[in-house]
Amino acid sequence: MLEARALTKIYQGAPALDKLDLQVPGGEVFCLLGPNGAGKTTTVNLFLNFITPTSGQALVCGVDAAAAPLAARHLLAYIPETVMLYGNLTGVENLEYFSTLSTGRRRGRQELMALLREAGLQEEAANRRVAGYSKGMRQKVGIAIALAKDAKALLLDEPTSGLDPLAANEFARLIEDLRRRNMAVLMVTHDLFLAKQCGTRVGIMQRGRLAAVFNTDDTDHLGLERAYLDISRQAVAA
Amino acid sequence: MSAVDVITAAEAPLPSGRWRIIRTVAVKEWLDIYRDARFRWLAALTLLLMACAIVFGVQQVQRIDRDRAAAAQEDRQVWTSQSAKDPHAAAHFGQYAFKPQSPLALADPGVNAYVGTAVWLEAHKQNEVQFRPARDSGVSARLGNLSLAFVLQTVMPLLVILLGFAAFSGERERGTLRQLLSLGARPLDLLAGKALAVTGVLAILLLPVLIGVVIACLLLVDDTQLSLSDQLARLGWLTLGYALYLGGIAALALAVSAFSKSSRAALVGLLAFWLINCFLVPRLMTDLVRTALPLPTALEFREAIAEDKKKDFGHDETHPAFIAFREQVLRDYGVNRVEDLPVNFRGLSLRKSDEIGYGIYDKHFGGLQDDYARQDRWRAVPGFLLPFLAIQPYSMGLAGSDTRGHYHFATTAEQHRRLVQTMISEDLIRNGRYGDSSYVAGPELWERIPAFSYRSPEAGWVLSAQARNLFTLAIWCAAASLLAVFAVRRLRPV
Ligand SMILES: Nc1ncnc2c1ncn2[C@@H]1O[C@H](COP(=O)(O)OP(=O)(O)O)[C@@H](O)[C@H]1O
Ligand SMILES: [Mg+2]
Repeated sequence: MLEARALTKIYQGAPALDKLDLQVPGGEVFCLLGPNGAGKTTTVNLFLNFITPTSGQALVCGVDAAAAPLAARHLLAYIPETVMLYGNLTGVENLEYFSTLSTGRRRGRQELMALLREAGLQEEAANRRVAGYSKGMRQKVGIAIALAKDAKALLLDEPTSGLDPLAANEFARLIEDLRRRNMAVLMVTHDLFLAKQCGTRVGIMQRGRLAAVFNTDDTDHLGLERAYLDISRQAVAA
Repeated sequence: MSAVDVITAAEAPLPSGRWRIIRTVAVKEWLDIYRDARFRWLAALTLLLMACAIVFGVQQVQRIDRDRAAAAQEDRQVWTSQSAKDPHAAAHFGQYAFKPQSPLALADPGVNAYVGTAVWLEAHKQNEVQFRPARDSGVSARLGNLSLAFVLQTVMPLLVILLGFAAFSGERERGTLRQLLSLGARPLDLLAGKALAVTGVLAILLLPVLIGVVIACLLLVDDTQLSLSDQLARLGWLTLGYALYLGGIAALALAVSAFSKSSRAALVGLLAFWLINCFLVPRLMTDLVRTALPLPTALEFREAIAEDKKKDFGHDETHPAFIAFREQVLRDYGVNRVEDLPVNFRGLSLRKSDEIGYGIYDKHFGGLQDDYARQDRWRAVPGFLLPFLAIQPYSMGLAGSDTRGHYHFATTAEQHRRLVQTMISEDLIRNGRYGDSSYVAGPELWERIPAFSYRSPEAGWVLSAQARNLFTLAIWCAAASLLAVFAVRRLRPV
């Protein structure tokens, strides 16, 4: 469960995020859309406490991220635009490292390979150095890290930008798997199609505020696109 | 929101195996370092440098010791084979006292090259130590820069900086810091792991060096001059001092890396520290204490002694002090003429003259040593920020090659000179007849006068003076570690 309560971040007098109220319960994928500079990444960073809020709270399963960042991060998994890994280690070595660091527990080779398989990474690729990985493969390792961690909530910041449609589609299926495990997923994306495909709700952000929220079941793709463009145009006009 | 959904901060699961996390970080860092071919080359080169330093050091100590032993033996031979002569003439004839080399001087030759290794012991006069290898024995001694101490104090910090500067800034640049921090890993655990890796690499590099020095000590130690156990105790203290010195530099490198936005900035900052610590400030502090606490020049020193020595009558029988002493002796024995004394007045007067001289020498040489000590103390004051200023005197002190160690030798030699003078004067007092210069002493007196032997003081004697520097190093290491803790606590990936 992810919850923002009047979450606000102000940079030099300019609000990047303005009293955001948001609840993403377990088993839901909330997609956050919006033009560049709308405050999406700021929202994600506040849940991770990579930045501290000016006011308000970011709660992960009730844990205030600013007050107890380590505890909050423990409940979270995070997949940025490009999952950054150690190029000189193999995929499975990277997973081993990050999973040990997140749980304090060492997993066997079999277990790690199973997690990577679950995340859609080929066995052959898992044993190669990450330096030669495509972006899609990196994202899969990111998913495996989230799986290994047994996280309660998942934050994704434009995870599919730059992926080809096939890879993006595969990624969407993985997100759907995680949702079924009762994870609360907050996904920032520019991809309306992806949002409609795997989101349970879609929020459109504009200048630090949530301008509109749709249930994906009640809205078709065209309706979503129209709303998104309208809001973006308003932003440009303003 | 259901009640089950809410987990309070207190109940939230935290990683149990902290030690496993620290170890995992350390092992990964260690592998990264090990797999870096550039680092392997650098490490091999440093090891080679230290091996050379030890081998050269051993050779130098052996050569000096061999020369010393030969010279001492020859000098003794010359002394004991003197023909029968007036004992005071023998005292004027004189002998050498040689400073045995401490095996640890191979690790840190300190001021050995500049203050000399032998002192000429003669009647009436305390001489300064001479035979400065820097002047007397050619190239190898003058290139005393490639000592183990130089490598440990100057080269190793550079290596530590290269090992540590990118520890956090590199992860920030590659973006892996985001991933790491998002895991919920404690920044302190990351720090501990990285520190363990750097210090582990250092330990692996320095262990063979320590073993090399122990072997060198076993080879070189001469039990008549110093005990092996004392050398090993000193080595232990040296190891502690260098561990604090280099450990603090490792902590500083990690702290700067955590503070810096880029690895380049971290490296530039750390290299600036290295230059300031190892070169600039030591030089500056030397000039500063020299100006603030000036020492007498060699000429002034000798003139001041000469001035005081005017109170000493020596052989001058018209000197008022001589006349007063003669009156005093006659009164004490209740006789009118020196010829009527039951003892030899010439012996008495020589002994008296010597005693006057002792006080004068103690005052001047002791005062000079006090001046040195004061300079050394002030020079080391900024050592808790720039630890080179503390490790340098500490290392020399324990190697027995600092000015205090030399002063200890010089004072012991002077005690021996006084013993010889006293034995000779007493022989004269007992056996001579006043006005009759025909009395001569024979070889049995020359034999009876012991050969000079020097035992270097125990480690405890060194530590009493070096505790201050050790404490400074401890403060340095603790402060740098605290800075690193502070730096990682506010570690942010953005
Ligand atoms: N470190 C920062 N300092 C100042 N302003 C910032 C900083 N980070 C983000 N901002 C501003 O906050 C606003 C929201 O940024 P962000 O959340 O990154 O947008 P996006 O929705 O594209 O992810 C933008 O106007 C951006 O310029
Ligand atoms: Mg963004």
